[in-house]
Amino acid sequence: MASRNTYDEAQVIEQLRDPAAARTAFGKVIEHYSSTLYWHIRRMVFNHDDANDVLQNTFIKAWTSIDHFRGDARLSTWLYKIAINESITFINKQKAQNNISIDDDDSFLVNQLESDEFFDGDAAQLKLQRAIATLPEKQRVVFNLRYYDEMKYEDMSEVLGTSVGALKASYHHALKKIEAFLQEND
Amino acid sequence: MIGLGKDPGFKVPENYFEEFNKRMLDSLPEKEITEVEKPQEQKATVVDKPSMWVRVRPYLYMAAAFAGIFGMVKVFNMYNGTDISELARGMDDEKNAEELIMSGTSEYDILNYEDSVMMDAAGEELKSVTK
Repeated sequence: MASRNTYDEAQVIEQLRDPAAARTAFGKVIEHYSSTLYWHIRRMVFNHDDANDVLQNTFIKAWTSIDHFRGDARLSTWLYKIAINESITFINKQKAQNNISIDDDDSFLVNQLESDEFFDGDAAQLKLQRAIATLPEKQRVVFNLRYYDEMKYEDMSEVLGTSVGALKASYHHALKKIEAFLQEND
Repeated sequence: MIGLGKDPGFKVPENYFEEFNKRMLDSLPEKEITEVEKPQEQKATVVDKPSMWVRVRPYLYMAAAFAGIFGMVKVFNMYNGTDISELARGMDDEKNAEELIMSGTSEYDILNYEDSVMMDAAGEELKSVTK
Protein backbone atom coordinates (compact mmCIF):
# COMPACT_ATOMS: atom_id res chain seq x y z
CA MET A 1 0.00 0.00 0.00
CA ALA A 2 2.90 2.29 0.81
CA SER A 3 4.09 2.00 -2.79
CA ARG A 4 0.60 2.91 -4.04
CA ASN A 5 0.73 6.14 -2.10
CA THR A 6 4.10 7.05 -3.55
CA TYR A 7 3.09 6.23 -7.10
CA ASP A 8 3.60 9.31 -9.27
CA GLU A 9 2.24 8.59 -12.75
CA ALA A 10 3.90 11.55 -14.47
CA GLN A 11 7.26 10.53 -13.05
CA VAL A 12 6.72 6.87 -13.95
CA ILE A 13 5.82 7.79 -17.55
CA GLU A 14 8.99 9.83 -17.80
CA GLN A 15 11.05 6.93 -16.44
CA LEU A 16 9.40 4.53 -18.90
CA ARG A 17 10.88 6.61 -21.71
CA ASP A 18 14.37 6.20 -20.33
CA PRO A 19 15.72 2.76 -21.40
CA ALA A 20 17.90 2.54 -18.30
CA ALA A 21 15.01 3.21 -15.88
CA ALA A 22 12.12 1.66 -17.86
CA ARG A 23 12.18 -1.77 -16.25
CA THR A 24 12.06 -0.46 -12.71
CA ALA A 25 9.35 2.01 -13.67
CA PHE A 26 7.29 -0.77 -15.24
CA GLY A 27 7.61 -2.69 -11.98
CA LYS A 28 5.83 0.23 -10.33
CA VAL A 29 3.13 0.11 -13.01
CA ILE A 30 2.58 -3.61 -12.38
CA GLU A 31 2.38 -3.04 -8.64
CA HIS A 32 -0.07 -0.18 -9.05
CA TYR A 33 -2.42 -1.68 -11.63
CA SER A 34 -2.24 -5.47 -11.23
CA SER A 35 -5.12 -5.71 -8.77
CA THR A 36 -7.50 -3.37 -10.67
CA LEU A 37 -6.81 -5.05 -13.99
CA TYR A 38 -7.00 -8.54 -12.49
CA TRP A 39 -10.50 -7.99 -11.15
CA HIS A 40 -11.68 -6.54 -14.43
CA ILE A 41 -10.23 -9.49 -16.35
CA ARG A 42 -11.57 -11.96 -13.78
CA ARG A 43 -15.11 -10.65 -14.26
CA MET A 44 -14.68 -11.17 -17.98
CA VAL A 45 -13.19 -14.69 -17.98
CA PHE A 46 -14.57 -15.86 -14.54
CA ASN A 47 -11.85 -18.43 -13.84
CA HIS A 48 -8.82 -17.46 -11.69
CA ASP A 49 -6.17 -19.32 -13.72
CA ASP A 50 -7.46 -17.84 -16.95
CA ALA A 51 -7.53 -14.36 -15.41
CA ASN A 52 -3.94 -14.88 -14.26
CA ASP A 53 -2.85 -15.81 -17.81
CA VAL A 54 -4.70 -12.89 -19.41
CA LEU A 55 -3.24 -10.47 -16.86
CA GLN A 56 0.27 -11.71 -17.67
CA ASN A 57 -0.39 -11.28 -21.39
CA THR A 58 -1.71 -7.79 -20.74
CA PHE A 59 1.45 -6.69 -18.96
CA ILE A 60 3.75 -8.35 -21.48
CA LYS A 61 1.92 -6.62 -24.32
CA ALA A 62 2.08 -3.30 -22.48
CA TRP A 63 5.80 -3.76 -21.82
CA THR A 64 6.69 -4.73 -25.38
CA SER A 65 4.68 -1.87 -26.86
CA ILE A 66 5.44 0.78 -24.25
CA ASP A 67 7.11 2.87 -26.98
CA HIS A 68 3.67 3.27 -28.60
CA PHE A 69 2.15 4.70 -25.45
CA ARG A 70 1.28 8.34 -26.02
CA GLY A 71 2.07 10.48 -23.03
CA ASP A 72 -1.09 12.58 -23.49
CA ALA A 73 -3.35 9.60 -22.65
CA ARG A 74 -3.61 8.16 -19.16
CA LEU A 75 -1.70 4.99 -18.46
CA SER A 76 -4.81 3.44 -16.85
CA THR A 77 -6.84 4.06 -20.03
CA TRP A 78 -4.17 2.43 -22.16
CA LEU A 79 -3.81 -0.57 -19.82
CA TYR A 80 -7.59 -1.06 -19.65
CA LYS A 81 -7.73 -1.09 -23.44
CA ILE A 82 -5.06 -3.80 -23.60
CA ALA A 83 -6.71 -5.83 -20.82
CA ILE A 84 -10.13 -5.69 -22.53
CA ASN A 85 -8.66 -6.70 -25.89
CA GLU A 86 -6.70 -9.54 -24.32
CA SER A 87 -9.81 -10.76 -22.47
CA ILE A 88 -11.93 -10.77 -25.62
CA THR A 89 -9.15 -12.48 -27.60
CA PHE A 90 -8.92 -15.15 -24.88
CA ILE A 91 -12.70 -15.73 -24.86
CA ASN A 92 -12.79 -16.02 -28.65
CA LYS A 93 -9.97 -18.59 -28.54
CA GLN A 94 -11.88 -20.55 -25.90
CA LYS A 95 -14.98 -20.48 -28.10
CA ALA A 96 -12.99 -21.76 -31.07
CA GLN A 97 -11.48 -24.58 -28.98
CA ASN A 98 -14.94 -25.59 -27.71
CA ASN A 99 -16.60 -25.31 -31.15
CA ILE A 100 -18.83 -22.49 -29.97
CA SER A 101 -19.94 -19.86 -32.43
CA ILE A 102 -18.32 -16.48 -31.93
CA ASP A 103 -21.83 -14.95 -31.95
CA ASP A 104 -23.02 -17.09 -29.01
CA ASP A 105 -22.92 -15.62 -25.52
CA ASP A 106 -20.26 -16.49 -22.93
CA SER A 107 -22.43 -18.66 -20.68
CA PHE A 108 -20.05 -21.59 -21.19
CA LEU A 109 -17.46 -19.73 -19.09
CA VAL A 110 -19.71 -19.76 -16.01
CA ASN A 111 -20.47 -23.48 -16.18
CA GLN A 112 -17.38 -24.44 -14.21
CA LEU A 113 -17.63 -21.58 -11.75
CA GLU A 114 -19.55 -23.64 -9.19
CA SER A 115 -16.69 -26.09 -8.85
CA ASP A 116 -14.01 -23.37 -8.97
CA GLU A 117 -11.97 -23.37 -5.75
CA PHE A 118 -11.56 -19.61 -6.07
CA PHE A 119 -15.27 -18.90 -6.15
CA ASP A 120 -17.07 -18.77 -2.83
CA GLY A 121 -20.21 -16.99 -3.92
CA ASP A 122 -23.68 -18.14 -2.98
CA ALA A 123 -26.51 -19.13 -5.33
CA ALA A 124 -27.60 -15.51 -5.84
CA GLN A 125 -24.07 -14.41 -6.76
CA LEU A 126 -23.71 -17.34 -9.14
CA LYS A 127 -27.05 -16.47 -10.75
CA LEU A 128 -25.92 -12.88 -11.25
CA GLN A 129 -22.74 -14.10 -12.95
CA ARG A 130 -24.83 -16.36 -15.19
CA ALA A 131 -27.01 -13.37 -16.08
CA ILE A 132 -23.96 -11.19 -16.86
CA ALA A 133 -22.50 -13.95 -19.04
CA THR A 134 -25.55 -13.83 -21.32
CA LEU A 135 -24.68 -10.26 -22.37
CA PRO A 136 -22.79 -9.60 -25.60
CA GLU A 137 -19.08 -9.11 -24.79
CA LYS A 138 -18.98 -5.35 -25.38
CA GLN A 139 -22.11 -4.83 -23.30
CA ARG A 140 -20.56 -6.99 -20.61
CA VAL A 141 -17.44 -4.79 -20.63
CA VAL A 142 -19.62 -1.68 -20.24
CA PHE A 143 -21.65 -3.28 -17.46
CA ASN A 144 -18.56 -4.43 -15.54
CA LEU A 145 -16.77 -1.09 -15.88
CA ARG A 146 -19.82 0.79 -14.62
CA TYR A 147 -21.33 -1.58 -12.08
CA TYR A 148 -18.21 -3.05 -10.47
CA ASP A 149 -15.41 -0.58 -11.27
CA GLU A 150 -17.76 2.42 -10.99
CA MET A 151 -15.91 4.05 -13.84
CA LYS A 152 -17.23 7.40 -15.07
CA TYR A 153 -18.86 7.34 -18.50
CA GLU A 154 -16.37 9.95 -19.72
CA ASP A 155 -13.43 7.71 -18.75
CA MET A 156 -15.18 4.70 -20.21
CA SER A 157 -15.63 6.63 -23.44
CA GLU A 158 -11.85 7.11 -23.64
CA VAL A 159 -11.17 3.43 -22.99
CA LEU A 160 -13.75 2.07 -25.42
CA GLY A 161 -13.76 4.86 -28.01
CA THR A 162 -17.57 5.07 -27.80
CA SER A 163 -19.74 8.12 -27.11
CA VAL A 164 -21.06 8.69 -23.60
CA GLY A 165 -24.64 8.50 -24.88
CA ALA A 166 -24.05 5.12 -26.50
CA LEU A 167 -22.41 3.83 -23.32
CA LYS A 168 -25.35 4.96 -21.18
CA ALA A 169 -27.76 3.25 -23.55
CA SER A 170 -25.62 0.10 -23.54
CA TYR A 171 -25.54 0.01 -19.72
CA HIS A 172 -29.29 0.57 -19.54
CA HIS A 173 -29.91 -2.35 -21.96
CA ALA A 174 -27.52 -4.54 -19.98
CA LEU A 175 -29.37 -3.81 -16.73
CA LYS A 176 -32.73 -4.61 -18.34
CA LYS A 177 -31.43 -7.93 -19.71
CA ILE A 178 -29.93 -8.92 -16.36
CA GLU A 179 -33.12 -8.05 -14.50
CA ALA A 180 -35.16 -10.02 -17.04
CA PHE A 181 -32.82 -13.02 -16.65
CA LEU A 182 -33.04 -12.89 -12.84
CA GLN A 183 -36.84 -12.72 -12.95
CA GLU A 184 -37.11 -15.59 -15.42
CA ASN A 185 -34.80 -17.75 -13.32
CA ASP A 186 -36.29 -16.85 -9.96
CA MET B 1 -30.82 -1.61 -8.96
CA ILE B 2 -30.06 -5.29 -9.25
CA GLY B 3 -30.06 -5.57 -5.47
CA LEU B 4 -27.40 -8.25 -5.22
CA GLY B 5 -24.46 -6.23 -4.03
CA LYS B 6 -21.18 -5.79 -5.81
CA ASP B 7 -19.24 -8.75 -4.50
CA PRO B 8 -19.11 -11.28 -7.33
CA GLY B 9 -17.90 -14.02 -5.00
CA PHE B 10 -14.48 -14.36 -6.57
CA LYS B 11 -11.35 -14.84 -4.50
CA VAL B 12 -7.65 -15.25 -5.17
CA PRO B 13 -4.91 -17.41 -3.60
CA GLU B 14 -3.19 -15.94 -0.57
CA ASN B 15 -0.53 -13.34 -1.36
CA TYR B 16 -1.48 -13.68 -4.99
CA PHE B 17 -0.84 -10.07 -5.99
CA GLU B 18 2.51 -9.77 -4.19
CA GLU B 19 3.72 -12.96 -5.83
CA PHE B 20 2.25 -12.04 -9.18
CA ASN B 21 3.95 -8.64 -9.20
CA LYS B 22 7.34 -10.18 -8.46
CA ARG B 23 6.89 -13.03 -10.93
CA MET B 24 5.64 -10.67 -13.61
CA LEU B 25 8.58 -8.31 -13.27
CA ASP B 26 11.03 -11.23 -13.45
CA SER B 27 9.36 -12.67 -16.54
CA LEU B 28 9.35 -9.46 -18.58
CA PRO B 29 11.32 -10.03 -21.76
CA GLU B 30 14.52 -8.09 -22.12
CA LYS B 31 14.06 -5.05 -24.26
CA GLU B 32 16.72 -4.28 -26.76
CA ILE B 33 18.13 -0.97 -25.80
CA THR B 34 18.90 0.67 -29.07
CA GLU B 35 21.54 3.22 -28.41
CA VAL B 36 21.46 6.15 -30.71
CA GLU B 37 24.52 5.87 -32.88
CA LYS B 38 26.89 8.70 -32.46
CA PRO B 39 27.34 10.62 -35.67
CA GLN B 40 30.66 9.82 -37.30
CA GLU B 41 33.28 12.34 -36.51
CA GLN B 42 33.67 14.80 -39.26
CA LYS B 43 36.78 14.29 -41.27
CA ALA B 44 39.46 16.86 -40.71
CA THR B 45 39.95 17.42 -44.42
CA VAL B 46 37.76 20.18 -45.70
CA VAL B 47 36.08 19.36 -48.96
CA ASP B 48 37.10 21.94 -51.60
CA LYS B 49 34.43 24.17 -53.02
CA PRO B 50 33.64 23.22 -56.64
CA SER B 51 35.71 25.21 -59.09
CA MET B 52 34.25 27.86 -61.41
CA TRP B 53 34.65 25.52 -64.40
CA VAL B 54 32.68 22.75 -62.69
CA ARG B 55 29.86 25.13 -61.83
CA VAL B 56 29.64 26.79 -65.27
CA ARG B 57 30.16 23.60 -67.32
CA PRO B 58 26.48 22.47 -67.51
CA TYR B 59 25.35 25.89 -68.77
CA LEU B 60 28.10 25.94 -71.38
CA TYR B 61 27.07 22.46 -72.61
CA MET B 62 23.47 23.61 -72.87
CA ALA B 63 24.41 26.76 -74.80
CA ALA B 64 26.59 24.69 -77.16
CA ALA B 65 23.71 22.29 -77.85
CA PHE B 66 21.37 25.18 -78.75
CA ALA B 67 24.03 26.73 -81.00
CA GLY B 68 24.50 23.37 -82.77
CA ILE B 69 20.76 23.00 -83.42
CA PHE B 70 20.54 26.56 -84.72
CA GLY B 71 23.52 25.98 -87.05
CA MET B 72 22.03 22.74 -88.41
CA VAL B 73 18.75 24.52 -89.25
CA LYS B 74 20.67 27.27 -91.08
CA VAL B 75 22.69 24.76 -93.12
CA PHE B 76 19.54 22.79 -93.99
CA ASN B 77 17.81 25.96 -95.26
CA MET B 78 20.83 27.03 -97.27
CA TYR B 79 20.91 23.72 -99.22
CA ASN B 80 17.16 23.79 -99.87
CA GLY B 81 17.18 27.40 -100.99
CA THR B 82 14.23 28.23 -98.89
CA ASP B 83 13.54 28.40 -95.30
CA ILE B 84 10.84 26.57 -93.46
CA SER B 85 8.68 29.59 -92.83
CA GLU B 86 8.67 30.41 -96.53
CA LEU B 87 7.71 26.83 -97.41
CA ALA B 88 4.90 26.98 -94.92
CA ARG B 89 3.65 30.21 -96.45
CA GLY B 90 3.84 28.66 -99.93
CA MET B 91 1.87 25.64 -98.93
CA ASP B 92 -0.72 27.91 -97.53
CA ASP B 93 -0.80 30.01 -100.71
CA GLU B 94 -0.97 26.92 -102.95
CA LYS B 95 -3.94 25.66 -101.03
CA ASN B 96 -5.59 29.04 -101.31
CA ALA B 97 -4.83 29.23 -105.03
CA GLU B 98 -6.29 25.78 -105.69
CA GLU B 99 -9.40 26.76 -103.82
CA LEU B 100 -9.64 29.97 -105.84
CA ILE B 101 -9.20 28.16 -109.19
CA MET B 102 -11.52 25.29 -108.41
CA SER B 103 -14.26 27.45 -106.99
CA GLY B 104 -15.22 28.95 -110.40
CA THR B 105 -14.57 25.83 -112.50
CA SER B 106 -17.22 23.36 -113.58
CA GLU B 107 -16.66 19.72 -114.43
CA TYR B 108 -17.24 20.56 -118.08
CA ASP B 109 -14.37 23.08 -118.03
CA ILE B 110 -12.04 20.48 -116.56
CA LEU B 111 -12.89 17.93 -119.28
CA ASN B 112 -12.35 20.58 -121.97
CA TYR B 113 -9.01 21.45 -120.39
CA GLU B 114 -7.92 17.82 -120.36
CA ASP B 115 -8.98 17.37 -124.02
CA SER B 116 -7.02 20.45 -125.09
CA VAL B 117 -3.93 19.20 -123.25
CA MET B 118 -4.21 15.85 -124.94
CA MET B 119 -4.69 17.52 -128.33
CA ASP B 120 -1.61 19.68 -127.79
CA ALA B 121 0.42 16.62 -126.85
CA ALA B 122 -0.76 14.75 -129.90
CA GLY B 123 0.07 17.75 -132.11
CA GLU B 124 3.57 17.91 -130.67
CA GLU B 125 4.04 14.22 -131.25
CA LEU B 126 2.81 14.55 -134.86
CA LYS B 127 5.20 17.42 -135.44
CA SER B 128 8.16 15.41 -134.20
CA VAL B 129 7.22 12.49 -136.42
CA THR B 130 6.81 14.64 -139.56
CA LYS B 131 10.14 16.47 -139.08
